[in-house]
Amino acid sequence: MHIPDGFLNPAICALMGAISTGFLVWSWRKARATYPRSLAPLLAVSSAFVFAAQMINFPIVYGTSGHLVGGTFLSMLLGPYAAILSMTIVLMMQALFFADGGIFTFGANVFNMAVIGGLSFFLIKLLTRNPKRSGWLFRSIFFVSWLSVVLGALACGLQISFSPVFSEAGGIAVTVPAMLFWHILIGLGEAATTTTLVSQLHRLQPTILSGLTILRGRQSESIH
Amino acid sequence: MKAYIKVIILILICLAVLTPLASDFPDGLEKVAETLGIEEHDPTWKGLMPDYTLPTIDNPYISTFVAGTFGVFLVLGVAFILGIVITKPSR
Repeated sequence: MHIPDGFLNPAICALMGAISTGFLVWSWRKARATYPRSLAPLLAVSSAFVFAAQMINFPIVYGTSGHLVGGTFLSMLLGPYAAILSMTIVLMMQALFFADGGIFTFGANVFNMAVIGGLSFFLIKLLTRNPKRSGWLFRSIFFVSWLSVVLGALACGLQISFSPVFSEAGGIAVTVPAMLFWHILIGLGEAATTTTLVSQLHRLQPTILSGLTILRGRQSESIH
Repeated sequence: MKAYIKVIILILICLAVLTPLASDFPDGLEKVAETLGIEEHDPTWKGLMPDYTLPTIDNPYISTFVAGTFGVFLVLGVAFILGIVITKPSR
């Protein structure tokens, strides 16, 4: 889903750059007020994991592939603010060193993967708020990680539809359905991988999901 | 700290085993562009290792693995610095 340079017109690049900058400033401020220093090693290792996982494309159907984005995964381990910043680091290194995702399209890529992925934390929190639904955690993670890829693809389809090359090819009526079609399928891979990873990490190291103060509130609710 | 080092080693092993199995098919966005007959331009900025390969290494497996390992440690380092900067020092 990394948009290369040349796929977006300058106005969209600027708009998405501004929106993403807003989210990054918000995440940065919230992170500084929220996280203890002990988060740093977990943040480093989980970011490195997401970078490696994004290199491994899995085939879908009809000669198309996808890879884990990892936004929902990071938001479960790190909370929303550090997840947005962590994913932004991954995307930045990919754009700077590996030409994966453009330089001018960076803002759009941050929005589609880092911001949407990080915000999935709040939807999972909402879905599991009712203590009677304590068994809903992994079901919610499955659904929300799938949704994060589909919404990212929707945003990407909208963004590219404004560029001259794509609008000549049919514009929004073509780009949005096509992006959604592939990413509804790719999202299933994302959902299966994220749910497996989080549930196995939770089994091996039960404190990993409750290490954050912001998560602890919900966890203690579900126990009582 | 030991657990984190184990995880890093595990990530590198997974990378070594899984990169040759990774699919070469276009991803969702590339497929959409391809279907619509849109060519991806040569990137404005090529980076040091375009498409996760080192131009100086001929063997594609080693080239991708070296690029991937470099990337893992790069992200690890930058994210750790970020982790120090965005967190409160423990008293």
